[in-house]
Amino acid sequence: MASVRLKTGQVPTPELDQVVFDLSCGAKLLVSPRPGAPMTALQVHIRGGHSLDAPDLGGVAWMAGRMVDQGTKLHTADEIVDELEPLGGGINGDSTGLSGTIVSKHWKKLCMRATEMLTMPSYPKDRFELQRGRVLDRLSIERDDPRSQAMHGFRELIYGDHWLGRPHYGTLESMSRIERKHIAAYHKKNWVASRAVIGICGDVDPEAVKRLFNRALADWKAGRDLGTVEEDYPAMKRRVAAYQAKRQQVHLFLGHLGVKIQDPDYPALVVMDHILGTGPGFTNRISRRLRDKEGLAYSVNANIHSSAGNMRGVFSAYIGTSPEHTSAALTGFMEEMKRIQDEVVPTPELDVARNYLIGSFALGFERAGSRAGYLIRQYRFGLDSDHLKTLPGRFSAVSAKDVQRAAQRHLFPDDAVLSSGGPIAKKALLVAMGAKAKP
Amino acid sequence: MTRHTKTKASEASLEIRAGATIHEHNLRNGLRVLLAERHGDPVVKVILYYGVGSRSESDQEAGMSHFLEHMMFKGSSKYAKGEVDQLTTMLGGQNNAFTGNDHTAYWMRFASDRWETALEIEADRMTGLTLDPDEFNSERDVVLEELSMGEDDPWSVLAKRVEATLFGRHPYGRPIIGYRESLLAMEPADMHAFHKRFYNPGNATLVIGGDIDPKRAMKSVRKHFAKIEAQPKEQSEDAFKLPMPTPGTGETRLRLHWDDPGRRLIMAWPSEPVGTDADYDLDVINGLLSNGRGSRLIKRLVENEGLATSISTSNDARVQAGIFWLFAECAQGVPPEILEAAIDEELERLRVEMPTAAEVKRVHNMIGAQESASGESIGDVAEEIGSMAIDATWRLAFDGGAGHRKVTRKRVTQTAARLLTQERRVVAWSLPTEKEGI
Repeated sequence: MASVRLKTGQVPTPELDQVVFDLSCGAKLLVSPRPGAPMTALQVHIRGGHSLDAPDLGGVAWMAGRMVDQGTKLHTADEIVDELEPLGGGINGDSTGLSGTIVSKHWKKLCMRATEMLTMPSYPKDRFELQRGRVLDRLSIERDDPRSQAMHGFRELIYGDHWLGRPHYGTLESMSRIERKHIAAYHKKNWVASRAVIGICGDVDPEAVKRLFNRALADWKAGRDLGTVEEDYPAMKRRVAAYQAKRQQVHLFLGHLGVKIQDPDYPALVVMDHILGTGPGFTNRISRRLRDKEGLAYSVNANIHSSAGNMRGVFSAYIGTSPEHTSAALTGFMEEMKRIQDEVVPTPELDVARNYLIGSFALGFERAGSRAGYLIRQYRFGLDSDHLKTLPGRFSAVSAKDVQRAAQRHLFPDDAVLSSGGPIAKKALLVAMGAKAKP
Repeated sequence: MTRHTKTKASEASLEIRAGATIHEHNLRNGLRVLLAERHGDPVVKVILYYGVGSRSESDQEAGMSHFLEHMMFKGSSKYAKGEVDQLTTMLGGQNNAFTGNDHTAYWMRFASDRWETALEIEADRMTGLTLDPDEFNSERDVVLEELSMGEDDPWSVLAKRVEATLFGRHPYGRPIIGYRESLLAMEPADMHAFHKRFYNPGNATLVIGGDIDPKRAMKSVRKHFAKIEAQPKEQSEDAFKLPMPTPGTGETRLRLHWDDPGRRLIMAWPSEPVGTDADYDLDVINGLLSNGRGSRLIKRLVENEGLATSISTSNDARVQAGIFWLFAECAQGVPPEILEAAIDEELERLRVEMPTAAEVKRVHNMIGAQESASGESIGDVAEEIGSMAIDATWRLAFDGGAGHRKVTRKRVTQTAARLLTQERRVVAWSLPTEKEGI
């Protein structure tokens, strides 16, 4: 098949106009009007999240967000449900804020209930106990789930004691210690206007949205802005953890610390990821080798860019495979990581990745929720206002040398950690890993 | 040998579905084409549905439809192994496929200036699938890993047992992925014959949705598909048909064990085919029972009484029959029989007491709102139209809630009393290995 280069100007790009407002309470409001859109989506991001949890009370931030839809000082949970659900509406919260959608003509109702949740959740005691009981049930089941345990182990190996290594919904032990007063205090102190950015997309008039939020959030406390968050991670080094369980498959996570989204190599790393482990179908090397050629797995991938944010993400290579394939899978991961560092990517392979990234740009913006989510990301990560328009050009400019350079700077196969869950012991894992560590 | 046929431009009528104008065409070789024209986003989704799924398989062929779906990416006459992915990706598009009980579908999604490549690819693999023996063996290993993945999932294991109990020897009783033994026994020649039997224009519906020019789209469809030879109708028929088993005269109970603390419950009832009145009634019942936090089961059992950590129902209507499912996870510390008794109370209430007008109106509204939400993505619109077209009729898709609004309070009670009885159901529990619960 001949190699073809798509030019960025040839590609349809999504229109995502937005109007930015500073609300009187101190929050930022981003509105992207889309006349005729059937659904309107709202997202509110509150800086801080589970970075603010005390280590022994992990899950407080998550519970504070999770519980905001359980009633406010003006409406009970049942009243909110009875009002919004028949309109196709609903609001969910987590440690980072809340989000919701509704049939467009009812957008004001969605926004009004969201403003109540932001400023005056009631956290009814009986609802708190039920919710915490449900989470504890989930955590106790998760404790016996090899994939979940392997994933948690992976993050702990990479981030150590840093809060990024802890699950945002806490652990069985920390969740057992959380009381209603903890989440109420957390909300009061941390869900404040100066840390909030609100994104809304749908069939709305930006001025009307601004008026509504200015009115409804007039008394929202600005609070204290957050300073920079500490970034103190363990040194990269080979570490191994195994969670043993009787299952058909073993889940393997191999990787190390990743990058921030602002890293100048980010566009090159996105292209590298598509060549190495995320390109669709069998266009990436790891799927082509481990799934297509060797038939080792149904589910396999590798990626560094998708977890990048204002903090360093991770490089993660994952496979779910039969235990007898562990060694072959690890060999595949390590050799492909090294190959992309040692060899310049051939032009046709580079073109496939670049063309995909440029040409698929229009595909991710059909839903109001995706658009609202993009508004928030753009603001949080400090992306330029013309980011959507310029990114295809940046992908197009990535050369084979750029990919190799980025791989050499940001992949560390010999210092990767390995976490497993399934029918394999740590000793066997160490053997498989150690044998492959030396070229 | 292919034979050129003229197409019959039988554009019946134009109807609007989720903001898309639907154009229906039928080629002379039997291929049905549905164009869903909508220009809001610069995106086009192409989906080719075949009327073949696990229902079409004999015992020996169990899993063939799904395995064949994998092999459709492994080479055809014009595209070597991997080239479909290469080409799709090169053009900035995405592709994938899925297999169900009654149909198999292949989709591609592109920016609207380059989607026609999808037609060339689909036409080629409809007629010229390669099925290289080495690729066949390697891909079988992938399917076996997929099967292992399912065997590590307690819900999947439990659901398979329930389906087998409900449908007996009927193919609906078998897992779509098949069995290790049936997969290991398959040969490329078997798959060739299966492909020839089911992958032909008369057994297919092509849906093109999004930012298209309908005239140009049809010109391109004709260019790629009109030359494909029609198959005699009987060759496209299911090779293996069994009557649906008669539901038993008593409740069937199953119990499995899993090595975690989860107590998982499935109740399931045999139901009626897609598009029937009962199908609509069960959609409304599904809404009453578990759609949203204001629904009966979630409100009582999860939100108020805390007997379950999660509960859901689902109306799984298929071509020949269906299943009405109920899934619940028992809260820790709650005896399973207490949860089951509470569910039974709610089911009994449904069978003997008409729901209030407000409850039914709430469900009608929610179904309408869900249609709006699904309609946001032209890909979802195309998918729903295609699956309805191949399983029943596309006019049932995105009808603005018209079909569901005909469901009255009385119909809800009658259908619940007729179908959701204790005698007709299978009750399956997955309990912790060390515990004997009920």
